[in-house]
Amino acid sequence: MTMNTEIDGAAPAVRPRRRPLLRPPVAKLAFWGISAAWFVLVIVPLIILFVFSFFTTEYFQTVYTPSLDTWTGLFSSGRFEVTLRTLRVALTVTLIELAVGFPFALWLAKGCRSSLGRAIVLALLTIPFFLDLSSRTIVWRAILGQGGLINTILLSTGLTDQPVDWLLYSEFSVHFGMIPALFPPMVLPIYMAITLIDDNLLEASNDLGATPAQTLWRVIVPLSLPGVVAGFVFTLGPALAAWVEPGMLGGGFVNLLSSSIESAYTALRYPVVAALSAFVIGLLLVLLGLLMLILRRFGGAGLTLR
Amino acid sequence: MKDKFSTTDQVQLTRRSLLQSMSALAGTAALGSAAAMLPGAARAADMPVVKAYGVPTAALKDWSPMEASIGVRCELSGTSNDVGVFMRDIMASNLGESTDLFIFESGTEDILGPRGFYAEIETDNPELTLWDRTSDDWKRSDVVTDPKGTQWGVPVIGNADSFGYFPAKLGMAPDSEEELSWSLMFDDENTRGRVAFGQGWAYSFPSAALYLKSTGKAEIGNVADMTGDEAKVVADFLIERKKAGQFRTLYGAFEEQIQLLTNEEVDVINCWEPAVREANLVLGPDATRYAYTKEGYFKWGHGAYVAKQAMERDNVDAIYKVLNYFLGGEYRALQARDRGYAGPNMDLGVAYAEENGWSAEEVAALKATEAKVAKKFSKPFVSTTTPQNSADIEDQWQRFLNA
Repeated sequence: MTMNTEIDGAAPAVRPRRRPLLRPPVAKLAFWGISAAWFVLVIVPLIILFVFSFFTTEYFQTVYTPSLDTWTGLFSSGRFEVTLRTLRVALTVTLIELAVGFPFALWLAKGCRSSLGRAIVLALLTIPFFLDLSSRTIVWRAILGQGGLINTILLSTGLTDQPVDWLLYSEFSVHFGMIPALFPPMVLPIYMAITLIDDNLLEASNDLGATPAQTLWRVIVPLSLPGVVAGFVFTLGPALAAWVEPGMLGGGFVNLLSSSIESAYTALRYPVVAALSAFVIGLLLVLLGLLMLILRRFGGAGLTLR
Repeated sequence: MKDKFSTTDQVQLTRRSLLQSMSALAGTAALGSAAAMLPGAARAADMPVVKAYGVPTAALKDWSPMEASIGVRCELSGTSNDVGVFMRDIMASNLGESTDLFIFESGTEDILGPRGFYAEIETDNPELTLWDRTSDDWKRSDVVTDPKGTQWGVPVIGNADSFGYFPAKLGMAPDSEEELSWSLMFDDENTRGRVAFGQGWAYSFPSAALYLKSTGKAEIGNVADMTGDEAKVVADFLIERKKAGQFRTLYGAFEEQIQLLTNEEVDVINCWEPAVREANLVLGPDATRYAYTKEGYFKWGHGAYVAKQAMERDNVDAIYKVLNYFLGGEYRALQARDRGYAGPNMDLGVAYAEENGWSAEEVAALKATEAKVAKKFSKPFVSTTTPQNSADIEDQWQRFLNA
């Protein structure tokens, strides 16, 4: 290892210069080709989306006269609140997942010594991916409803004399339904990142007198940041687009972005859909920018998988 | 079953269709040569084909009676009940190039007819033999004509939707046919917190408007096509009721209607009639009832519309045979028996059942359906999926959802 070489007092090892994979003209061509493809496939649709948000819809037909009506309509119809509510719910779920998922991933990667046990846990994490989300979600209704399992237990044990209403058809039930569904996308990338941390580093930290908390904060967290970022993105994205849990467990009282877009679409209101999407993309860019700024405090090197 | 919100049904239908197609393919591969030798199969293969696109509600569970009756095969590609998806498919994907008939709930003809996607119905087409005896209540209804009266479609099926309720919980006799007020849905202290309301604007908004208009609480011109200001009044009312805790839930799909009734999560729900029947299969006869109402119903109908391009093809006769079949007794009887839906010329359905040896109970059920629909259709307002002010209405509905 380079560190050992330096400690031994030997001359610093000169890292051999790697030959570039592609010759400069080819590399340049590849760069511009990929950039052009990126521009056409990603940026152009976003520009069109943004432009479309300045049109309106009349009687199921798009009126191509630029105006701010669609954007002002976002506020008068309460769709602006839908966007903020969606962001709030998605972020809350993501942070809860992170709070629960990180210790779990740490235990799975470094604490669980039985390979069979680890295999079983990983299987339990991945099996839900193969089951229909609607089927998994609708089960909660039978458990959380007024005549459901939990209320039956509460009533029969005398803990309450009325069914607890907020267990179902509330923001609580939407959060509750989303958390198990989005647990694997948060845990698996973090687990992968922590698995890649060399055990020698943890031992070295211990040998140098660091407490477990210091090892966690100064070694494990920075080195697992790529997994944390991936888990954050993989969880936040589906949470923003969630429609099964809000639809089935929200009882129509938790109107999120997906159902708002769907409702607009039934009237072929493409500009409203475009404005909502553009607004969310803008908010996401701000959010990810903030996230990157925060993570830079831990060191940019931790953000790559090299 | 009228699948306005149900996605699962469509998926199930799609899966079923896929499985049926795969089974058919497998069968064809295995028995291809033998099947070709069967005279019936050979006849079916030689039949003219009419390609249809629309909601599967209008489809027969088995098309073979139609093939035997009129010698035409119908291939229906199912779509969801989302009018946006349906119209996008026709306008943007130019489905008329490959499809002969479109079948959908009322409203699309007002837009797709004048814009040149539907062909005007030739009411004097020689294959349309039942047209003259079909009552104007059906053939000239808003379901198949536009506001100018142009005939864009042929009526297929219809019903008048209201709400399901538990007579015992409301202190009524189980067999009561008393006309109830929509106030049970919106305004009644006894049902507060025990009501499920559909969360689709096209289905639920008009019922609330109908209630406010009928009780004099709001001045509304056309319940099916409110202006933005009228929709705002209705939305304000609904927001007030929502905040007062009137609604236990705003449901989204047909399966939810059944579940909410069967687990007795609510006492009243604006829903499709089949949901009440399904719930009673679990809870017992007449445990829930489908209301006759004082103020009126959400009257809906499905029409069959001919693609403009189809009139240039060589199967126009076959298309009109299918349209005529939709008006006939066999289709009427089968639809009423299998799905409980009514339509034009119910008397022909009863006659068909009697002539073909159906049981007395089945004939009586057909007659009951005929009487029920006649009673309900005497009340006001026919719904549309495409109100002129859809953008304003949808905005106001969002305000209600977000309140």
